[in-house]
Amino acid sequence: MNDMDTDARTDAEPPARSERDLSNAADMIVCEEICKWYGDFQALEGVSATIKEQEVVVVLGPSGSGKSTWIRCINRLEQHQEGRIVVDGVELTNDLRNIEKVRSEVGMVFQQFNLFPHLKVRDNVSLAPIWVRKKPKAEAEEQAQALLELVGIPEQADKFPGQLSGGQQQRVAIARALAMEPKIMLFDEPTSALDPEMIKEVLDVMKNLALSGMTMMVVTHEMGFAKEVADRIIFMEEGQIVEVGTPEHFFTNPTEDRTKLFLSQILA
Amino acid sequence: MSEYGADTPTIGDVPRIVTPPVEPHLPPRQWLAKNLFPSKLNTLLTIVASLVILAIVRGLLGFIFNPIRQWNATAVNLRLMMTHAYPADQYVRVWVSVAVFLVLTSLSLVVWRVGFRILLRKLAKQVIAGGVFGLLVSVLAPFSTNATLIWLAVSAGVLAIGLGLLRAPEEATISSLTLVVGASSLAAASLWLIPYGRHSFVPDRTPRILAEPGTVAITTKLPWTIMLVIAVATYAVGRMLRDRIPTKQAQTVLLLTWFLAPLALIYLVLRDPDFDMAHVVSTDIPIFLVFAALGSATLFWLTRPDTGEIGRVIAMVILFLGFGSFLTPMRMVIRILLILLAMFSLAAPTFSGDRQTRRRYATTWTVVTLFLCWLITAINTPSTVDVPGEFFMGGFSLTLLVAFFTLIISFPLGVVLALARTSTMPVFRLLATTFIEFVRGIPLITILIFFSVMVPLFLPDGMDLPELTAVTIGYALFASAYLAENVRGGLQSVTRGQHEAAEAVGMTTSQKTVFIVLPQALRVAIPPLVGQVIATFKETSLLYIIGLYDLLFVAKALVPNQTEFMGSTRENLLFVSVIYWIIAYNLSKASQRLERRVGLGER
Ligand SMILES: Nc1ncnc2c1ncn2[C@@H]1O[C@H](COP(=O)(O)OP(=O)(O)O)[C@@H](O)[C@H]1O
Ligand SMILES: [Mg+2]
Repeated sequence: MNDMDTDARTDAEPPARSERDLSNAADMIVCEEICKWYGDFQALEGVSATIKEQEVVVVLGPSGSGKSTWIRCINRLEQHQEGRIVVDGVELTNDLRNIEKVRSEVGMVFQQFNLFPHLKVRDNVSLAPIWVRKKPKAEAEEQAQALLELVGIPEQADKFPGQLSGGQQQRVAIARALAMEPKIMLFDEPTSALDPEMIKEVLDVMKNLALSGMTMMVVTHEMGFAKEVADRIIFMEEGQIVEVGTPEHFFTNPTEDRTKLFLSQILA
Repeated sequence: MSEYGADTPTIGDVPRIVTPPVEPHLPPRQWLAKNLFPSKLNTLLTIVASLVILAIVRGLLGFIFNPIRQWNATAVNLRLMMTHAYPADQYVRVWVSVAVFLVLTSLSLVVWRVGFRILLRKLAKQVIAGGVFGLLVSVLAPFSTNATLIWLAVSAGVLAIGLGLLRAPEEATISSLTLVVGASSLAAASLWLIPYGRHSFVPDRTPRILAEPGTVAITTKLPWTIMLVIAVATYAVGRMLRDRIPTKQAQTVLLLTWFLAPLALIYLVLRDPDFDMAHVVSTDIPIFLVFAALGSATLFWLTRPDTGEIGRVIAMVILFLGFGSFLTPMRMVIRILLILLAMFSLAAPTFSGDRQTRRRYATTWTVVTLFLCWLITAINTPSTVDVPGEFFMGGFSLTLLVAFFTLIISFPLGVVLALARTSTMPVFRLLATTFIEFVRGIPLITILIFFSVMVPLFLPDGMDLPELTAVTIGYALFASAYLAENVRGGLQSVTRGQHEAAEAVGMTTSQKTVFIVLPQALRVAIPPLVGQVIATFKETSLLYIIGLYDLLFVAKALVPNQTEFMGSTRENLLFVSVIYWIIAYNLSKASQRLERRVGLGER
């Protein structure tokens, strides 16, 4: 049974995502000219972009170009100094209530997993729903089990994160973020810390999530994933957005020289 | 098989253990050559070191077994050292306390499954080592001929047992607990059989002989035998019931009992408060009922997820009431409960949730209130145990008491200080840093003298702080500064990623601290924290300098001044050192076990 499911998911022609019409969808994330300095060093130099509901955006760029900084500004793990960020109609200011509201609607998956090592996998997933969403414990644990099933590791619920493989840990991290029932999911290089044989299991989970209609912003170096799943690709360099386009445009005839250089290096 | 699990190897399913090749077992001659005499220089060092060790052992034995040593001073005064002036006719209270302690220990051994299996052959080596040491003692110590013969015979017997064990089948093991029970049974039996009082020395320097010559007093051997039986019986019963009780709950209940038992024993059993029922019914119970009812209702409401800002306002109002209550004459218990209620209210948003969660929070409040009301009432009630002096405990029991209270006050305080010192609020940081650095810059003895002599002078009229309480507060403040630094080390070891992960799922700062940061920080801080516990325990001996009757005071200042034991200082000091060492060593062992255990859940 399961084997057939797997085949159906992986072999089916991906829907032509880049041809989806999202022009009528609501704006989920609006960034206007955001600037961010670390001391004297400017990491973001006026980044503007709008991400629609259900859209999947992949952010590419060389190391140190500010991808992480940008994505982390969106749930206020970093604080931008100029410009505006509006997430699902809530502007990120110093108001703690706004920050809490945005954070509970935006899920984040880190490169280093950052699971809570002292808690069992099930508690990693159910902790925030219980204490932040105020869900009854039984309900939250039921939901945790269902989410672990969704990411394919229901049998690991009673283990500690340290007992899981990297790929399994990252899938727990995805389940943990989903448990807050977010409207947006942010991924910061979710497969970069994984051994090659575990990358696919994580990407498959992300692909299914995209198919289910989640709004996603993904920083990754997985070009296959970008080609197949992204609605739009944003290329960054030195704190600026250099080029934006559909995967087709991007991989066949990019306009900017810097994009071409980057692609030639990464696809070489 | 799951969709993803199928093609990925799962770590931790069945660990396959590959053992390294066994090191070849060297015959004794070669072992010696390899480990002790590999080169000329090493041979020299080995010989010198052996001579030094021999000299030390000989010196120690010469001290212990010298005929002029007055070990009677220690033996006869055991009760004085343990409990100072606690009345003999009430002594059953002490034994009840010891029994409760042993029962708890036995149950803990059962519930936490302490104990391991020792290879008989490994045990054999230790027994042989013991036998050899005995032989050495027989030869080196200044025994009379008779005593030398007895020692030689016993040591040879031990050696023979060891050699016999060496023949045991290779795989044969014995449980460590069986060994402990066996050893303590032997010890208990020996109290009845061996004439400890008559060893190698002639008791002509002790004009007064208390027990029958050469035997152990019945008031010692009978209770200890009963204690052993209780401990073993509890363990046996516990083992039978173990599989029928959920482990997790049993552990929680036991931990709570460990925490509450000392208080209950001190204030209920040992102190035997003479409760004035009329006063209890007219004042104490109403205070409890009012606080329990109003507090639970308030907290049940404050923990609603949608209470919002008004909750904070109410908590602050209660806090101001609490501090304000110090301006007007009022019962101390009301002030304490008000401040505590304010703390609970301030923490309420962190623990808000569904009905069940909220009910649990309110119940916690009620239990804490009940406990505090009882404790404060018990403290304020005169005791029926008639003891001369300010306080009814002394000797070793006072040492334990001060150490216990110091720790239960300083632990929470230390955690709070560490959190304050690492917080983002400059005021908290400044306060905590100043306090910690100030306290760490002063010698402990200065703080103790300050609290014992000066603080009572500063107190407002009508407020009375017993010296012991004041000194304990001094100890607690001192210990908390050091604990805070240890906890801070733990806090800093929690990675930035953990903070970010907690923030990213929307936790507030206090939720992040309580659920994510502190559990990990305390785990990392276990070794230095236990080090601080041991230090605190040993530092209680400074009570001697303040002039309070702790173990050291009794051993150093009281016993050697008794006419029949004039000048027995060194004997008593050696005995006291051994007691301190046994406890400190066991604490340190326990911490190593704890570390290994909690390491399980780590990354
Ligand atoms: N906490 C920080 N302090 C100072 N500089 C930082 C910090 N975080 C990132 N930077 C700098 O900002 C730039 C962008 O970093 P980052 O967003 O992590 O890039 P990317 O994720 O694209 O590799 C880099 O030059 C990096 O050195
Ligand atoms: Mg990055």
